[in-house]
Amino acid sequence: MNQQQTPTKGTEGRTDGAQGTIRIHHSNRWRVVDIAVASVIGVASAVIYWVVAIVTTVPWSLLDGIIPGLAGILNGLYLFAAPLAIVIVRRPGAAIYAEVVAAVLESLLGSQWVPVEVFLIGLLQGAMAELVFALCRYRRWNLPTVTLSGMAAGFGCWLYTFCTHLQAISPAGPYGLVYLVTTMISGALLAGVLVWYLYLAIARTGALDRFESGRLPRAGKEEGTVE
Amino acid sequence: MTQTDPAPYGNDSDLTRPAGLDLVHWGYRHAYRSHFAVRDLSLTIPAGQRVLLLGASGIGKSTILEGIAGLLGEQMGAQGLDVPEGQNEQIVEVEDADGGVTQGRILIDGHPAGGVGGRVGLVMQDPDAQAIFQRLGDNVAFGPENMGVPREEIWQRVRESLRAVGLQDLQLTRSTMHLSGGQMQRLALAGALAMEPGLLLLDEPTANLDPDGVRQIVGAVREVLDRRDSTMVLVEHRAQPWMDMIDRVIVLGLGPVESDQGRTGKRDFRRTVIMADGTPDQVFSDRDLDLASLGIWVPDPYKGAADQVGPISPHARSGGGPGSGLGDPILETDELSVGRDGRSIASGINLTFRQGEVTALVGANGAGKSTLAMTLAGLMDPLAGRVVASDRLIRDDGDARSVAGGADPYAWKSTDLASRISYVFQNPEHQFARGSVLGEVMLAPLRTGMTQDQARERARNLLTRFNLIQYANANPYTLSGGEKRRLTVAAALAAAPRVLILDEPTFGQDRTTWTSMAQLIDSLRADGICIIVVTHDMDLVKALDARLVYLIPDRPGAGKVSGGPVQSPDGPDGSRPVLLPVAAMDQRDEPPRRSSRSAYIASINPAFRLIGAFLTALPLLISLDWVSATVALVLELFLLMAAGFTPLRIVRSAWPIFLGAPGSALAIILYGKAGGATYWQWGMIHVTQRSLDLALATALRILAIGIPAIITVLGIDATDLADAFSQVLHLPERFVYGGLAGLRLFSVLRDDWSALSASRRSRGLGDENRFKAFFPQAFALLVLSIRRSTTLATAMEARGFGGTEERTHARVSDVGPRDYVYLLICLAVPVAALATAALTGRISYFGN
Repeated sequence: MNQQQTPTKGTEGRTDGAQGTIRIHHSNRWRVVDIAVASVIGVASAVIYWVVAIVTTVPWSLLDGIIPGLAGILNGLYLFAAPLAIVIVRRPGAAIYAEVVAAVLESLLGSQWVPVEVFLIGLLQGAMAELVFALCRYRRWNLPTVTLSGMAAGFGCWLYTFCTHLQAISPAGPYGLVYLVTTMISGALLAGVLVWYLYLAIARTGALDRFESGRLPRAGKEEGTVE
Repeated sequence: MTQTDPAPYGNDSDLTRPAGLDLVHWGYRHAYRSHFAVRDLSLTIPAGQRVLLLGASGIGKSTILEGIAGLLGEQMGAQGLDVPEGQNEQIVEVEDADGGVTQGRILIDGHPAGGVGGRVGLVMQDPDAQAIFQRLGDNVAFGPENMGVPREEIWQRVRESLRAVGLQDLQLTRSTMHLSGGQMQRLALAGALAMEPGLLLLDEPTANLDPDGVRQIVGAVREVLDRRDSTMVLVEHRAQPWMDMIDRVIVLGLGPVESDQGRTGKRDFRRTVIMADGTPDQVFSDRDLDLASLGIWVPDPYKGAADQVGPISPHARSGGGPGSGLGDPILETDELSVGRDGRSIASGINLTFRQGEVTALVGANGAGKSTLAMTLAGLMDPLAGRVVASDRLIRDDGDARSVAGGADPYAWKSTDLASRISYVFQNPEHQFARGSVLGEVMLAPLRTGMTQDQARERARNLLTRFNLIQYANANPYTLSGGEKRRLTVAAALAAAPRVLILDEPTFGQDRTTWTSMAQLIDSLRADGICIIVVTHDMDLVKALDARLVYLIPDRPGAGKVSGGPVQSPDGPDGSRPVLLPVAAMDQRDEPPRRSSRSAYIASINPAFRLIGAFLTALPLLISLDWVSATVALVLELFLLMAAGFTPLRIVRSAWPIFLGAPGSALAIILYGKAGGATYWQWGMIHVTQRSLDLALATALRILAIGIPAIITVLGIDATDLADAFSQVLHLPERFVYGGLAGLRLFSVLRDDWSALSASRRSRGLGDENRFKAFFPQAFALLVLSIRRSTTLATAMEARGFGGTEERTHARVSDVGPRDYVYLLICLAVPVAALATAALTGRISYFGN
C-alpha cells in the first residue's frame, strides 16, 4: 500500500493529462469531509472507550493480579483513535486532531473522565502516533508504519501514566518495565495491526470512497459478482 | 474566481432574485466507480420555473442536485481552471481530489456552480443529517455565517426564515433533539432559506416523514415560492402533494448503449437522456411513456387503472375483518407498557397477533412505534405487563425444544429468539454482521444449529427469491439502498421465524422496488407467518390489507405548530383501526440551561474555564507530597463551596475519581518507591513506609487535580466552547466547527450502539460474551460513523462551509477582566499549595 504520489505543496496543484483529462493532485489541504471524518472517528472512539471501560474492569484486575503491570496489555483498546484517523484521512495532524476531539467530548460528558487528564493523555498519544507518519513525511501508509504508530501511542500512554498518577513508582523498576512492554505490545497489536485490518475492512464496505485510502481492491457489487 | 460578483453578499436584491440554470453536457463519475452516475446531460431551466425531476432509482437525480449545489467535483472555468489551449471544453474531464470525474459544466445565471455562495439552497432527505448544531437558531444562522453576512443581519434572516417555514413560535435555543421529524425538515428548509437562495433544490425532502410532516413541508415550500418566486428543482418519488406548484416535469432515463475508445480500451456507456419534458398534463397523460417501468408513481389525477394501488390478495380478508387472518394467535400482549429509559410511552396495551396476519403500526414520527415493535420482538424490556408467546411459538416446529424463559421473549436466549421472532431494522447497516451477502443470510441458520450445507442451500434459495443471488459474494455494505433492505429481510427469513417484524420496509423505494417488497410481504403472509410492519406508508397498508394499529398522541396540544389537524385515523375501506393512545411529544418551552450550577462559574468564558482547570492541575504535578495535595484540596473545596457547590453535590458530580484514586494508591503501596521501614516483601511487592506515604500523597493529589477539573468544566455547552475556541483562542474555524458538528453525532452514535446490540440479539449473536462481541460491534459502529460524517460534510458544504471566505459569527464569545481574575484564582491554588510544601520542607519533585 505504498502511495508513492508526490504531494504538491500548499493548495491544489494540477497537471494537464492526456486525452483531455485534468487531474487535481493530492494535496495536504484538509477538505471538509476530512475534518468531518477525523472528528467523528474521535467521537466514535469516545463511545467505544466508554464501553471498553465497562467491559475491561474485571479482566484488568485479574491480569494485574497475575503479574503486576500485565494489565497494560489491555491499554491498546484505548489507543486506536489516532492511528485509525490518520490512516484513513491521511492529512498531517489527523492523529492529534482525532484525539483532541475525543478529549473535548470526554471532558464535556463529565464525571466518567477528568477533563485535564484526557486532554494531556490524548495529546501525548496523538502526538506519538502522528510522529511515526510525520517522520515518513506522510508518504508511507502500510502495516509496518501503522504498527509502529500504535506502539508509539502505547509509549505515550505509558509516559503519561508514569509522569502523573504513578510518579511514585519507578519507571525503570519491574512494574514500570512490565507495564511499558505490555502497553507497547498492546499498542502495536490492538492499535496497530488490528487497526490496519480494521481500516481495510472499512474500505471494503465502500465507506471510504471519497478518500485516497479507499483505493484498494474490494469485493464490491461491481467486482465481486458471481454467476 | 471568474466573472462572478466580487461582493460575497453585498447587493441583496441582485442575489435573491430567481436564478436560471444550465447543464451543458454535464456528467459526473463518483470515485472508484467504473460508470458515470450522470453522463452528457444538457438541460436549461429558466429563472422562476418549478421543476419536478423524475426517474428510476439510480438514474443520478441526487448526483444532479449535488452538482447544481456545487458540491461535486471541479469544473472548467471555475476555481481558476481554464480550458487548456486547443481543447474543446465540452469533452474535457476534470478529476477532483475526491477521485471523481466531472464532464461539461453547470452554470447558475451563467456562472459556474459552486462559485456563487448562497445562490443555491439544498434540502436533503434525512433531516437528522442536516442539523449541525444542538440549538435550533444556530442551525439557521450557519449558512449566513459562512457567507460572511454581518451579525445583526444574520439574526434578522434567521427570524424571517423561521417565520417562512412556520417555526417562529419555537425558541431559538430549543434543542434539535426535541423536534419532530416534520419540524426538523422545516428547520433544514429554513437553514437553506436563510442563505436567500435564488434556486431551491429539494432532494426527497419528505421521504422520512409521516403524513402530517409531509403536509408541513409542502405547505412551507409553497409559502416560500409564493413570496420569493425562487426557481425550484424537486426530486420526489411521490409527487402527489406537490403537483399544484409544479410547472414542468422532466423524466430522466438512459440512452442506447454506445462505446468509445478510451485509454484502457473500448468502453460501453449510456448517456443520461430526457425521456419526457413538459407540463405535468403533457407528461403524465402521455400514453407512450411507460412510467411504471421507470419506477414512477403517477399522481392521483393522472392515474390510470394500472396505477391504482389495491390489495394484492383480496381473498386474504375472507376470514372476517380486514386482514384478521385465519391463523391462531401466536403473540399477545397483556396490559403491556412500553417506553425508553424508564419513560412510559404507552400503557395498558392488549393486542393479539395471529399467524398469516399483517398488522401495521402507524402513527407520527417519534410516536413510539419502533419502541412497541422492539418490545414485541423481545429486544426491549416491557415497563409493565407482559408480552406472551403462544405455546405454538415456544415449541418450535415439532422439535419440542422447550425455551428457557417461558413465554416472555425478552427472557429468551438470543438463538432461541432468532428462530422465532425476527426484527428487520429501519437502517440496514445496523444489521450487517458478515462480510458477504451469502454469509449474512447463512448466519441465522448456522446460529440455530443447521449444517453448513443446509444453511448454504437455504441461503441460496432465499437470495434467488429476493433477486440478490448475483451479489452472493459482494460486501453487503456495497449494495444499493433497496437491495440492502431486501437483504435484511432475506437474512431475517433465513431463521424461519414465525413472527417477522419490519421497521419501515418500503422507505425510500421507487415504485418498482416498492411493488416487489409489497408482493414479498404478501407471499410471506400466505406462508402463515405473522407479520408486523411499522410504517407511514398508507399505500402499503392498503396493498397488504393490513390490520391497523394507530398510535395517537394523548394530548391534542401537540398539534400546536403542526399547521393542520391530525389525519383521520380511518383505515382503508373505512374499517376502524385499533387506537392506541401514546404520550405526546413534549412541546413546552425549555428554560435556557445554565452552563454550571454555580452562577459565577457559568459567567466565565468556557475556554477560560477549561484553561483554568489546566492552571490548577498542571503545577500540582511538580511535587508529590501530602502537604501540597492537602492544601490544594482544602482550598479548592473552600472555593467551590464559595461558588455555590455543596459538599454533597461535589461528591455526586465527581464520584468516579473517589473510586479510581484508591486503585492507583494500592498499586503504589505494593510497587512504589521503597524507603524507610519495610512492612511486607513478597515477589515484586515491597511495602515500605515510603511507599505508604507516596500512596497517600498520590490519592490526595488525584482528588486535588480531578475534583476542580470535573466540577468547573461540567455543564459547558459544546457550541459555546467552539465559539470561544474560534473567537477567543483564534483556533482555525474549519476545524473548530467541523469538530463541533462531529460532537453532535455522539448521541446518535450512542443510539447506534444500542441498536447494534439489539440487532445482534435478534440475529442470534447475542449470547456471545461481551468481550468477544465487542470487536464486530465496534467495527459496525465505525462504518456507520464514517458514513454519517460523510453525509454531514455534504450538509455543511451545502451551507457554504469550508470555503476560503471570511466567516462571520452569529454568537459573540468574549472575555473581560472577570475572566482573567478567574484564571488568577485558579493559578493561586497550586501556587499556595506548593509554597506551603516548600516552606514546610515537604516538597518532593516528581515523587523523588
